Amino acid sequence: MQATLEDFFKALRGSDIEVSLNAQIDAARATALVGWRERELLKSALGATLVKTVPDRAIFDQTFERFFHFDTFGTRPAGQPGASPAATPPPGEQPQSNAEGSGQGSGGPGGCQGSAGQALSQLLLAGDSAALSRRMQQAARDVGLTDIWFFTQKGYYTQKIQQAMGLDLLDREITEARRQTQAPQRVAELERARKHLFNEVRNFVERKLSMYGTAPTRELHDDFLQTQKLSNIDRRDFARMHEIVRKIARRLAERHARRKRREQRGQLDFRRTMRANAAYGGVMFETFWRSTKVERPRVVAICDVSGSVRQYARFLLLFLYSLDELVSEVQSFAFTNHLVDVSATFAALPVEQAVDRVMQAVGGSGTDYGQVLQDIDEQLMHRIDRRTTVLILGDARNNRGEAHAEIMRTLYGRARRVIWLNPEPVSFWGLGDSEMKRYAPYCHIARECNSLRHLERTLDELLRTNSASA
Amino acid sequence: MKSLHDSHFDTVDVVSSRLADVDYICTRELATAVYLAFNLEKPILVEGPAGVGKTELAKSMATILDVPLIRLQCYEGLDESKALYEWKYGKQLLYTQLLKDKLAEMMQGAVGLAASIERLHGHDDLFFSEHFLEPRPLYQALHQERGCVLLIDEIDKSDPEFEAFLLEVLSDFQVSVPEIGTIVAKVKPLVFLTSNNTREMSDALKRRCLHLHIPFPEAKVERTILERRVPGLSQTLNRELVAFVQAVRAIDLKKQPSVSETIDWAKTLLLLNAEHLSLDLVRSTLNVFLKFEQDIASATEQLPALLAQARKDAELPLSSHHASHA
Repeated sequence: MQATLEDFFKALRGSDIEVSLNAQIDAARATALVGWRERELLKSALGATLVKTVPDRAIFDQTFERFFHFDTFGTRPAGQPGASPAATPPPGEQPQSNAEGSGQGSGGPGGCQGSAGQALSQLLLAGDSAALSRRMQQAARDVGLTDIWFFTQKGYYTQKIQQAMGLDLLDREITEARRQTQAPQRVAELERARKHLFNEVRNFVERKLSMYGTAPTRELHDDFLQTQKLSNIDRRDFARMHEIVRKIARRLAERHARRKRREQRGQLDFRRTMRANAAYGGVMFETFWRSTKVERPRVVAICDVSGSVRQYARFLLLFLYSLDELVSEVQSFAFTNHLVDVSATFAALPVEQAVDRVMQAVGGSGTDYGQVLQDIDEQLMHRIDRRTTVLILGDARNNRGEAHAEIMRTLYGRARRVIWLNPEPVSFWGLGDSEMKRYAPYCHIARECNSLRHLERTLDELLRTNSASA
Repeated sequence: MKSLHDSHFDTVDVVSSRLADVDYICTRELATAVYLAFNLEKPILVEGPAGVGKTELAKSMATILDVPLIRLQCYEGLDESKALYEWKYGKQLLYTQLLKDKLAEMMQGAVGLAASIERLHGHDDLFFSEHFLEPRPLYQALHQERGCVLLIDEIDKSDPEFEAFLLEVLSDFQVSVPEIGTIVAKVKPLVFLTSNNTREMSDALKRRCLHLHIPFPEAKVERTILERRVPGLSQTLNRELVAFVQAVRAIDLKKQPSVSETIDWAKTLLLLNAEHLSLDLVRSTLNVFLKFEQDIASATEQLPALLAQARKDAELPLSSHHASHA
């Protein structure tokens, strides 16, 4: 049973659920208590010990159904449904010896006995799906199928499993049958059986790959996505990216949520001190100081969505969207040649749609930073004060228009911090129509930002310095 | 005297039937989690919307096991001096005053400071012993001779620091008091932690607990709960009422009515001698189970439709249809 449990943990990891060692031990003890007999009971018991949040529970339920679905070996001709999953024994737990008694093959002249019970050919020709399933499960365990990682390994494992099931014998039989020319019908039968075996095993391996193979490959893929330049990332990875950004955001939120109070040395909290020091007869051994709640940063985020940064814009907006979920007060704006408030769109729509909507509505060509800065001056400046952090995402390519760097100076003077994230590498700043060199002096932080790693570092800094300098 | 672990639950069904005996109707899922918590001696973290019976579950378990229920209500700013122990400062001061003479007596003959201190050291640390300790809920829970059910209510309201402090209690059923040493539970208590999910609990805490989520009950379960909790309610009214509440939960509300509110409403209708749900009746008693002005407004708007829906659902003999509304 232990092996089955371990396989199940692997499958859970494949579904992105963390299973700690502690939980594994609990699960093992729980199953020892409730037994394997009753499916729903087992499910509740494993659920209570392995899953720690409500969203994970839904994923767990799915994985459970998938995992404890008995993989049957389809019989020829197809159509016969497999064993009903209602009273499913966990896969691969049947003792191998059972295979011997069941199913009588129409043993031909070449039918030789395999070491593990009946010859594969007999089982195949008889269509004994129960025995075949068991043998397939056993073979899968013998070759360690749960370690499968990549789809490229499919062929390897299919071959291995077939061999463990007794493919060599089957092949020998086929060769022999060919030699005996009087039995062409049998050759055809055996060859059909062999083909059927291949198909079934391959399907089986594919199902297992989708269960076990996702976790390690996804880790690799995530790692790749985090370090890749944002412009090189495919659109189909967008959902995955959002997951990662959310994860980063959650981690940062947890880390920073705690630093909310700060002591003000110099101001005694008289009441608390008196109360606590009653213990010492009123002698003030312990002192308490007044504390202030450190405000969460108030962020005004402004994002360029023009043609020149089109590839980045999607991810910058994604980042903004996640920031919106994380930081209490975020106002989000997007622009190409004039400023548009997109906070409402973000609040109303799910991320993918929101980003698409903004790209459509605001995107275009012909960025005009000068105009946008004037817009900021008119519409936003009065709302920017010592509490506000201004975050600008853009490449500062102004199409040779008026730069209006003096507005940046005013902004720099009013806001707590101005952060400019530029997708271009620093060496490109100021080349061609880039005004970055003129804006950069009026930013507290101006840096290159074109991968998720960059984003994470900046977000971390944003939250940290905000609470420290409050 | 019977202690906590003299009781036995051989199977999950025993748990649910014993709970039903004390009028706590539950799903098999819930019974399984409690069964495991009891037998594995692990704390259990219960989540779910307000009023689905999280706290009630701990109370019922205490009744079944016939042990005291010790409750620690969490709030922002809760610290160990309120949760675990505090020194009885007043008593300590009083005793020092009273014992001053004795002290002088004791010191007679000691020459010099060093000798006096030496003599004092000969005595135990009297003032920081258990006599001067004010036990708080956690301390009490560990000290129960017969074990107890410890309910740590609304853990999500406490600070992260307090959550970290709880870890020792939850994993080893022991706490360390600097002046005394480590206190180990005489009988491991059955621990329930409840959370309304106002914030995410730390991984360390979750790792030490089993997890149970109690959702709003299905119509069938809710009807049974009403039968038990509000005896005297007619079958028809029970059906209509539950169907109506289930329908209300499906609309978009700020706070959905929970089981405790269904019970309150049922009691109200019983007092009013109602036989059937009528439009006027519902409209005038809506505030019993909807607690926000805007919720009442939006429910009133859809009242005829909701009522029609409820009547239709109540007539269906099978519960399968109700389940889909849950």
